[in-house]
Amino acid sequence: MTQMTLKIENLTGGYTGVPVIKNINLEIKPGEALGLIGLNGAGKSTTIKHILGLLRPQKGTVKINDIDLRQQPLKFKRQVSYIPETPVLYPELTLKEHIELTILSYGLEADSAWKRAHELLKMFRLDNKLDWLPIHFSKGMKQKVMIVSAFLADSSLLIIDEPFTGLDPLAVANLIQLIRDATKAGKMVLMTTHVLADAQQAISNYAVLNNGTIETIGSLADIRQHYGLQPDDSFDKLYQILNQVTLHE
Amino acid sequence: MSELAKKRLVKNTRQSIKYLTLVFNDFFVLALIFLFGALMFWYAQALKQIPAKAWFYRPVLAVALWLPLLAGRLVTLFKKADIQFLYPQDGEKIDDYLKPMFHYSLLLPTILLGLMAGILYPFANVKIGLLPYQYLLLLLAAWALKLIELKWEKYSLNFKAYFSREVMWGGALLLLLASTYFPWLGIICLAIAIATPSKITAFDWYHDVEKEEARKDRVYGLFSMFTDVAEKQIVIKRRGYFDFLLPKQLTKETPNLYLYRRSLLRNPEYLNLVVRMTAFGILISWLVAEWKWALGLSALVSFLTVYQLLPLAKEFDQNIMYRIMPIDQTKRAGELVQVLALVLEIQWLVISLTWLLVLPLNTELFIAIVGLLTISQLLARVYLPIKVKQ
Repeated sequence: MTQMTLKIENLTGGYTGVPVIKNINLEIKPGEALGLIGLNGAGKSTTIKHILGLLRPQKGTVKINDIDLRQQPLKFKRQVSYIPETPVLYPELTLKEHIELTILSYGLEADSAWKRAHELLKMFRLDNKLDWLPIHFSKGMKQKVMIVSAFLADSSLLIIDEPFTGLDPLAVANLIQLIRDATKAGKMVLMTTHVLADAQQAISNYAVLNNGTIETIGSLADIRQHYGLQPDDSFDKLYQILNQVTLHE
Repeated sequence: MSELAKKRLVKNTRQSIKYLTLVFNDFFVLALIFLFGALMFWYAQALKQIPAKAWFYRPVLAVALWLPLLAGRLVTLFKKADIQFLYPQDGEKIDDYLKPMFHYSLLLPTILLGLMAGILYPFANVKIGLLPYQYLLLLLAAWALKLIELKWEKYSLNFKAYFSREVMWGGALLLLLASTYFPWLGIICLAIAIATPSKITAFDWYHDVEKEEARKDRVYGLFSMFTDVAEKQIVIKRRGYFDFLLPKQLTKETPNLYLYRRSLLRNPEYLNLVVRMTAFGILISWLVAEWKWALGLSALVSFLTVYQLLPLAKEFDQNIMYRIMPIDQTKRAGELVQVLALVLEIQWLVISLTWLLVLPLNTELFIAIVGLLTISQLLARVYLPIKVKQ
């Protein structure tokens, strides 16, 4: 499998004419997992929506290797799978059919994809619910379906938005393991989260977003140093500092 | 709480009037007036001809007066958010809230009962021989029985309180039947209605909010048979018995075909439309009983069916995953045509088979069957590809 790199250059955009994110520059290399952190309203979701092609940027580019999101959207999308914060399923499709749709959409080889799907379904205790419609699933179960579908897609970039919300501890542990395996296999992971204690088990580098711009990128140690945190300070203090910065701006 | 109830009732009435105006549009009202006029003319003629005092007149009267009692449920207008925000309200406050709701709930059955009573009075008076005061007592019995039903229903809003509409309806029918022989039972029914408890002591929030949602959905369902209702909740059903219509092999599928086929079979908005239109085609073919008319009207039905199914094209646009997954949306117009062509073929098959059963078997009928197939194919191969591109 070709090693892919996500490159975001000077990305500026938002929902109206006023930009929410300004001149975002990011690079995620093969096998890298990057955490996007920041307060509510910092621009994390807006950044993700631009990478997914849900919003049209005012400026800048999003590329995976040479595949430009705007120039070759279908080819770009084949490289990306996404787990949203709030699960979004097709109400008309059963769990089995969600798997089949993923196989169809990403052009996967059916037999090997189903083999992988069964492993994932068993891992998240969904293997006996193949004929269920989403109406019968709890929020946590729906989120598990999203996780199964995303990891089944075998794409080079996984975008995960607040993954730990609503999941039971077993599922959180499994998800962390899957992210680790994915990075080991050379895939890229971009994850937004506030739960740093869980995230740091799978994520090595973090980008801190504040007021729509990236303030710093690095390991948690680098970030501690950047914001002058003491080794025994909890990460709540980081958010307090970010809040002060936002208030002053 | 009483003010909140009144505000909600005003809003609900406005909404109902909005939809009723759409349902009872000029053409529909005109058709109803003609239909009602014809029915009343037939009724007046029948009254002149039928003999007086046949044994079954009283049961017929009882059933006719019982029918309006089937309409009207307890309206509460509770919303999901009330579980959070009105939770601390005690039984007395809920009672205050439900008082105007209860009166509102009585309105529809009372109007319907009044209408039915007016229509049936000549029959009751002339053919059964009920005196005016006896007829009034009978009506009092009917109204009191609805009052009992609604009071019982209100009481059942309490935790673990038993309520069975079927028991109520069965009992009401028997009491009405008895009242046609012993009209004084009307006073006893009223006394029972007054004595029926309806006080709220322990409100069952989750159950009662769900019950109200189901009631509203039934009302919206009724409106949606005539017009688009934005508030109607769509309940998807699995309908495994239709799976034979889906390709068995994944290789024959594309993501759009996969989604459109399943939405058509499981989303009641689309499936009900196809069933309703096909049934309508069958009904008018049977009524006109002439191959040329049957062909023309069935062709119109086929056109209207696929025309109304066109919004299926954008069914998934609001689903974020549909926009994120690598699904080729440039081909979806053609893929929708493929699915709609299948709908046309199935509709042609069902209508043609019915023609063979209900219309005279002759050469013209076979011409009509081939004609309808040709029109279906023209719709699928010429009209739809042009229309979906637009």
